[in-house]
Amino acid sequence: MRTNRAVRGPASTRLASEAAPDRNGGWAVEVHGLTKRFGARTAVDNVDLLVPRGCAFGYLGPNGAGKTTLIRVLLGLTRADSGTMSLLGIPVPSRRRDALARVGAIVDEPRFHGHLTGRENLKILAAARGGNAAVQIAPALARTRLTERADDKVSAYSMGMRQRLGLAACLLADPQLLILDEPMNGLDPAGMHEMRDMIRGLADEGRTVMLSSHLLDEVQRTCDQVAIVDHGQVIRQGPIEELTESAGTAIEVQCSDPPAAARALGTLGIASRITITENGLTVTLAAGPRREQAAEITRRLAEAGISVYSLQQTHASLEDWFLSVTSRFGEEK
Amino acid sequence: MTQHSLAAGQRSSWLPPLPVIGAKLLELRRRRVLMIVTVAFTVALPVIFYGIRLIFHLGDPARYALAGAPSAFATAVTVMDEFGFIIAVTLGVTAGTTDLTDGMFRHLVITGRSRLALYLARIPAGLSILLSLAAVGFTVACLVTGFLGSPLPAGAVIPSPGAMTDAGLWLELDLVIGFTVGLGLGSLMGQRTVPVILLIVLEIIITPIMSNHVLPFFIDGQRLLVGVAMDQLKPAVLAGGTRIGPGGSIGLNIPPMPTWAMITVIAGWIIGWSAIGAWKMSTRDA
Repeated sequence: MRTNRAVRGPASTRLASEAAPDRNGGWAVEVHGLTKRFGARTAVDNVDLLVPRGCAFGYLGPNGAGKTTLIRVLLGLTRADSGTMSLLGIPVPSRRRDALARVGAIVDEPRFHGHLTGRENLKILAAARGGNAAVQIAPALARTRLTERADDKVSAYSMGMRQRLGLAACLLADPQLLILDEPMNGLDPAGMHEMRDMIRGLADEGRTVMLSSHLLDEVQRTCDQVAIVDHGQVIRQGPIEELTESAGTAIEVQCSDPPAAARALGTLGIASRITITENGLTVTLAAGPRREQAAEITRRLAEAGISVYSLQQTHASLEDWFLSVTSRFGEEK
Repeated sequence: MTQHSLAAGQRSSWLPPLPVIGAKLLELRRRRVLMIVTVAFTVALPVIFYGIRLIFHLGDPARYALAGAPSAFATAVTVMDEFGFIIAVTLGVTAGTTDLTDGMFRHLVITGRSRLALYLARIPAGLSILLSLAAVGFTVACLVTGFLGSPLPAGAVIPSPGAMTDAGLWLELDLVIGFTVGLGLGSLMGQRTVPVILLIVLEIIITPIMSNHVLPFFIDGQRLLVGVAMDQLKPAVLAGGTRIGPGGSIGLNIPPMPTWAMITVIAGWIIGWSAIGAWKMSTRDA
């Protein structure tokens, strides 16, 4: 088994320590050695995952990486083959009902009874939850800005409205933990902005939001910490800033012939990734002294007869980090 | 951290609370087409049947018997049973599949509610619709028979209240069977069309053949069909005045079944299919 990067405990995690709703601290999601197979295919392979309380946590991975499967196992929608897990410190599946009492979740595309209104769908879910979930219907509709359309049939809802209804269903639990699987799917830019604001607002209230997505930019804007999953394994985990710093810096190069520059620098061995952009190219640097690397880039481009107009050092984006990590992972395989 | 084995059992209550039953009732009740067809097959059917008989009788009393003649009662209940079974199956299959096909099953499981409780909630929800409407239709038949059945032709007698009650209970039992078998098969298959077709074929093709023919080399295996058991349990008032239940199977070509065998077969179908549906619901990936 590959050794995952060590993750921070709650004491060392800023948001978790400041906003943890449970005085006992601990993890919102804790998974050890979880494996789920579908026949010969291993969808989740001996995963360890720790999600601190009170933060927005991105669970990143390419399509088919095992993100949804892990979430489905956590929520009891399917069974794991091995491993232990807990939600809000309560073990699942042995105490699934207790654990899910304060958990809201959207898995895949949110679908509802189309012949019922949004409010009636929430009534059904509130009845299943029991307790005072029915009291939460009106506030949940208001918070997701669905009050005016609450008595329309769901079959008339747009994709964005169904996503918001899914979020309203999550809020019935007055959740300490929200698990949202690709909540931005199918949303237009305005819808994504609205959903992002709602998610950020929930996290700012001290609720833990675990956001699964393949939209790196959205995760970077919304989340404090991330884990990256590939081929069913969590391969990195930690605060976004630390992880992108560890991915090194990038140098934006403006030059006369970006494709030729990319070819010339590709053989240099100092770049973990080279991306051709509108004005030139971005070179994500592998480890090493940055000043010398910048000088080496200039020298190589000059040797290749390419005019260099400017060099500017920037931080690597989450996307740069994601691709560098997944490609390294691929090479190791 | 306390860690628990995945194999540990779940402590959620399996008994559905009233709000969960009410929620399923709401979901079914709002299916407009299904409710229209259910009302048509249970209430409108006897009303139309007796209405036509009444009009015919008023038009030509010498040729057409009284609307409430005893023979009409048997015909009305038999027709209600045939169509009622079909709608019971349809309602059961619908109750067993719509959470899955509409994508609500996943939301419901995430609430933490026991899957068994969610399954069991479907039974009282669906039966409350079906049996109440069938009772209304059956009451129409009883009222017409009681109030529009006289004067009787020579030798005929109005079915006694006890006989009518037997017929009503038999009708309701057949609908319970149709619903629970439909619910179980629908939950097992996870789709509506095939289970409905299979059970309609069972009811209107296979069961009549099995009830009325001794099949060579079949060693009375047809007794295991619930329809055959129900036919043998049919009250005399619905069988032309001839008792065909325990003690005789006049009108059927297979040897009579003892009462315990009928009860066993009927209970086996209800409990067996309910158990299969509940098992599938409890183990299905959501």
